[in-house]
Amino acid sequence: MTEKVVIIRYAEIHLKGKNRGFFERVFTVNLERSLKGLRHELRRTSGRYLVENFDEARVDEICERIHNVFGVHSYSVGIKTEDTIDAIYAAAESVAPTIGTFKVESHRADKRYPMTSMQINAEIGGRLLSKFQELKVDVHHPDAFVYIDVRENGSALVFGEFCKGRGGMPVGTAGKGLLLISGGIDSPVAGYMMAKRGMTVEYLHFHSYPYTNGLAKEKVVRLAKTLSRFTGMHRLNTVSVTQIQEEIHSKCAAEYNVTLLRRFMFRIAERFAQKGGLQCLITGESLGQVASQTIEGMTSSNTVVTLPVLRPLVGFDKDEIIERSRDVGTYDISVEPYEDCCTVFLPEFPAIKPKLKDLEEEEKKLDVEGLVEKALSEREVIEF
Amino acid sequence: MIYLDNAATTRPNEQAVLRASEAVSSIWYNPSALYEGGCLARKTIDSAREKLLLFAADSSAFELIFTSCGTEADNQAIFGAAKRGNFVTTAGEHAAVYACAQELKNRGVEVRYAPLRSDGSVDCEALLNLVDGNTSLVSVIHVNNETGAINPVAELAARIKQINPRTVFHSDGVQAFGKIPVRLTKHIDLYSVSAHKIGGLKGVGALIKRKSLSLSPYLYGGGQEGGKRSGTENVLGILAFSYSADSAFHALEENAKRVSFLREKLWNSLDENIFFRLSSVSGTPYILSVSASGLKGEVLQRMLSDKGVYVGTGSACSSKRPHSRVMEACGHKKELLEGVLRLSFSAETTEEEIVEAARIINNVAARLQGRLK
Repeated sequence: MTEKVVIIRYAEIHLKGKNRGFFERVFTVNLERSLKGLRHELRRTSGRYLVENFDEARVDEICERIHNVFGVHSYSVGIKTEDTIDAIYAAAESVAPTIGTFKVESHRADKRYPMTSMQINAEIGGRLLSKFQELKVDVHHPDAFVYIDVRENGSALVFGEFCKGRGGMPVGTAGKGLLLISGGIDSPVAGYMMAKRGMTVEYLHFHSYPYTNGLAKEKVVRLAKTLSRFTGMHRLNTVSVTQIQEEIHSKCAAEYNVTLLRRFMFRIAERFAQKGGLQCLITGESLGQVASQTIEGMTSSNTVVTLPVLRPLVGFDKDEIIERSRDVGTYDISVEPYEDCCTVFLPEFPAIKPKLKDLEEEEKKLDVEGLVEKALSEREVIEF
Repeated sequence: MIYLDNAATTRPNEQAVLRASEAVSSIWYNPSALYEGGCLARKTIDSAREKLLLFAADSSAFELIFTSCGTEADNQAIFGAAKRGNFVTTAGEHAAVYACAQELKNRGVEVRYAPLRSDGSVDCEALLNLVDGNTSLVSVIHVNNETGAINPVAELAARIKQINPRTVFHSDGVQAFGKIPVRLTKHIDLYSVSAHKIGGLKGVGALIKRKSLSLSPYLYGGGQEGGKRSGTENVLGILAFSYSADSAFHALEENAKRVSFLREKLWNSLDENIFFRLSSVSGTPYILSVSASGLKGEVLQRMLSDKGVYVGTGSACSSKRPHSRVMEACGHKKELLEGVLRLSFSAETTEEEIVEAARIINNVAARLQGRLK
């Protein structure tokens, strides 16, 4: 009886006191959801999780999916075998290196086991040394470890490598937020970062068809789909701001176009969030990145909403954001050329430090309430 | 729906589809196999090959190599023939040639671009000035796919051979074959064509090659197409290509005359206060490029699509690539570059469609103008 298993250790959950049960329940659900469609059994054992009974040819796929579940601190592919010393050695031989330095570390959950941990280490280590001539023991700074875990039910787990997970907290343990997602590089990363801290993230995308094209929208769907590996969210809400842009363009001063549009987007987003019980807005803004992302620009959009606006990238450089977006897997999609913001309405010189009073003056020329309601009423939902 | 984007692709010819679908269950054998079914497939390909070649060239001097598309034919011609010295081409080439030129530059071949005139045709004298003793290949598009301008390829080829007889001459004939008269002269070495622009199916193109020219293969493998293009042949697509070409070439003059009338009718019906004509009257009858100054072609295209008129555009609404490289090379002003619409026809296009399309295009453009005021 020998089979491959995946051992999962979780991140910060152990810090939680009386809430721990809640965190663990959500974490279990998320792990199960990530493994959907693959035959497996997921079990919680003392302080960690074990995936067993899967198709061994698909172990890489299982690891890849587990890797993307927030809350996973690390995981290892190991071998589950009988707890006889011969069976343990056979497993150890298959995970041990054949060259360099190593150390065996044993742990017994079953203290009635006839050997102590030290004796197991010595026995397995000795056998490995005589099998592989180029292997040496180094108990202080080994190149590789062989871990042996003797369990209470007559079985033992043997594993070598620790793979680092993405860390964070299980999605669903830290409230709900609405991500304003565009086709750019930043907003998907912002969504990723909030999901990493356990937030359930819903997506809202603004488009201006026919000034922007259907491919741009399809690109955002693909971004959202890529993010869904982490967030578990499989729908995208879209709202057209075409009429709003046209109204602003025809009635207001050109330099305020962008800021005025952002205020509309925030109003629409807040109303949408409140209807769906979402507790905050999330944007990919980074201080000073473009003309509308100055502190004045951010203030002018904040003043039209009461929900908190989270900007997890506010202190990041573009390079740092790009690096993260590559890691998230959205970069290559984000840089495709379909733009979701048509250049038709872009003023040559946007106001970098818009004054609130001026913006409010400009808005008096528009039926703000009517435009917001109309845009929201034409919302579309794309499920994927 | 009114379809005016026939330069992008055409509705498959009914007869061609019918013959291909009949063949689906009878000629599915591998044409390289030696049993009867295989031989039947081989014969199908060879008779299509002969027929297609005869439409454009003398079969004693030229041969036809089937490829998977026009782009592949262009790639094979260029990478097969331009290995050293310099490569002379025009600023008005389709991406299938232009991108090859860019790659050739990476591979150490000098690339020289001849400028265009405002209708998109190449400045012949300027092109000839670029050719010298080191020119290994010249490639000139026969009919410009954006403006419809026709280049005098036979004349150019002859004059190039006078300058350097060893220079290979290639022309991308994708927008010409089956639409305007094509006759390959002894100075033209390579000519690319495609099936789906004339009612054939996607997935088939061909490179017509002068027999005496030796060209290294682009794809290696099982030695199909006389070792010049390996890979199991697309028998059904090839069969459909020969039928669609048959119907295109048999009514070539008649179609061209009728389509020419439609093109002028459409142009005369468009609002002259909005649209500027980019295509010249001497270009292919099948393409009419216009520009709505101050409007974005791509936005018009989407609005027209919503109204049931499908048209092409020369521009993509992207700040990185704001307008067509070819239109820019024609020397048009920035306002014109952004508002390009390419209206392209087929033998199937009717007068009623043209009248209706003109009405819708005028309405949509006027509406967009109003919305942007």
